[in-house]
Amino acid sequence: MSFLAQLNGEMRKLFARPRTYIGYIAFLAMEILILVVYKLDRTQAYTRKQLQNNGLEFDTYYSSLSITFTIMLLSMFVLGSVFFALVAGDIVAKENEDGNLRLIFARPITRLRLLLVKYAAVCLYTVSFVFFVGISGYVMAVLAVGWEGGLFVMEPKMKVFAAYPEWAEGASRLALGALGIGFSMITISSIAFMFSCFKMKPAAATIVTLSILFVDMILQNFPFFRPYEEWFVTWRMSAWLFLMENYLPWAKVLESFAFLLGLNATVFVIGWLSFQSRDFKT
Amino acid sequence: MLEINDLWKNFRGMPALKGVSFRVERGQIYGLLGHNGAGKSTTLGIILGMVAPTKGDVLIDGISIQKDRGRALRKVGAIFEAPSFYEYLSGWQNLKILMNYSGPFEEKLAREVVDRVGLTKRIDSKVQTYSHGMRQRLALAQALLPEPEILLLDEPTDGLDPEGIKWFRDFILDLRKERGMTVLFNSHLLAEVEQMCDRIAILQGGERVFEGPIKGLAEEQVRYEIDAAPTAPMSSLLAPYGGVVESEGVIYLPRQVDPALVLRDLIVAGVSVRAFTPKHRSLEDLYMEIKKEHHTTRSA
Repeated sequence: MSFLAQLNGEMRKLFARPRTYIGYIAFLAMEILILVVYKLDRTQAYTRKQLQNNGLEFDTYYSSLSITFTIMLLSMFVLGSVFFALVAGDIVAKENEDGNLRLIFARPITRLRLLLVKYAAVCLYTVSFVFFVGISGYVMAVLAVGWEGGLFVMEPKMKVFAAYPEWAEGASRLALGALGIGFSMITISSIAFMFSCFKMKPAAATIVTLSILFVDMILQNFPFFRPYEEWFVTWRMSAWLFLMENYLPWAKVLESFAFLLGLNATVFVIGWLSFQSRDFKT
Repeated sequence: MLEINDLWKNFRGMPALKGVSFRVERGQIYGLLGHNGAGKSTTLGIILGMVAPTKGDVLIDGISIQKDRGRALRKVGAIFEAPSFYEYLSGWQNLKILMNYSGPFEEKLAREVVDRVGLTKRIDSKVQTYSHGMRQRLALAQALLPEPEILLLDEPTDGLDPEGIKWFRDFILDLRKERGMTVLFNSHLLAEVEQMCDRIAILQGGERVFEGPIKGLAEEQVRYEIDAAPTAPMSSLLAPYGGVVESEGVIYLPRQVDPALVLRDLIVAGVSVRAFTPKHRSLEDLYMEIKKEHHTTRSA
């Protein structure tokens, strides 16, 4: 039994469902809106002022790369998380609800193997979606402001500030950032996947995941939780921003990614144990 | 080929199976009969490893499903009542996805099976456009890929029209004839099981209440509709034969009793018999008889 053939089947199922495309359409619409606002005089004036206050040239950094970064930074965490939770929350629970799992269980495949195939499909979907947002955002930005220019990055909460005057350097750093976002977003998918393995409705798996995520985010922003912010999942998920710094702080990045990796593995194992112990009546 | 050994299953403390055992020989078509909630689906779920038994074991060709599910199920194909496919994919894509969970997809074999179940023209259409009969044919196709030695059928003809039921029955019988396929057939319809199975087990309340060959079981009428008067002496006249008046106009006689003798006694005793006809035996009747027989055996 080929893992790749099974994974191919899972991806085919995922991309054959109309609801999978809701996220793509929503993001394209949002990207268009962001670009329209970016082109407005008042927005340009604000950006010009911000850049000049930091000693940077407007003509170099008012660019497609900077716009793409803004799109990914602002949209992925809030809107992206909804779609990742939706897709991952569905992947097991919906098949159980629809009765598709019965036909799979009649096959000589272990439950662990089945979950590994589905989890791999979810991870692949998550990362590919991030890149879709990045690439489509960049293409639209190029159409709006041209391809040339550097990359300007500013995120006060994570204390990240960087500027890349050369296009090539900015583009490669943005691609690295997109990989980081993809890895961070897998955590949302993993949590939703775990709930999907539990005996619950697909919608419940999605809602519980988003609730956990938003509660984590809200608590993290409470002033008296600040000293403990590194213990919050959403803070760790924002660590991809460190990949955008001029001098790459690998220790900080790896520490957070190891935290997320451990969390992902833990929730996968919990989901698997629950799934393994369940009875699936015909 | 298939051994079910002392299966017990409790769901939240409630017993769903109580020591069910039976054995299906190679090439046999075996019927598992019972009403809803009798334990048929739980038994099937345990055979497929979808439900963990509280106690007991299932062996498929000598391989324990509990110990080596993957190897045991290599020889198994299954169909469920109202099979659920991926509606938004074509029949062919569904087959491909499901077959990949068993082994490499063999296109030539798949084409042959699709042709055999009569789905060639519609196999590339989305499943959501299929009729119930076509879905059942697709279910049969997926169960036959890749070439199982044993088929598990869970109420496969539910919802099919009479033509579809006949087609399905003939198909299964042909499979047995050609390949010596072993079949376990779950149903609550005695008539259907009668036409296909060599042997049956009847489950009731999680217990196996009957196990044996089906041949002649339905013909052995034990219940008769009688239009006679006066009815008062009937009970005492039936008693020596072990018979009883079950309800108004219906009498029960043990299997070994010749109804002609009873009829003769009734007439000699002055009972005017206007009609005496064997009553069609339903699954319910069979249960009642078996329960009665069990009760009599236990009392004795």
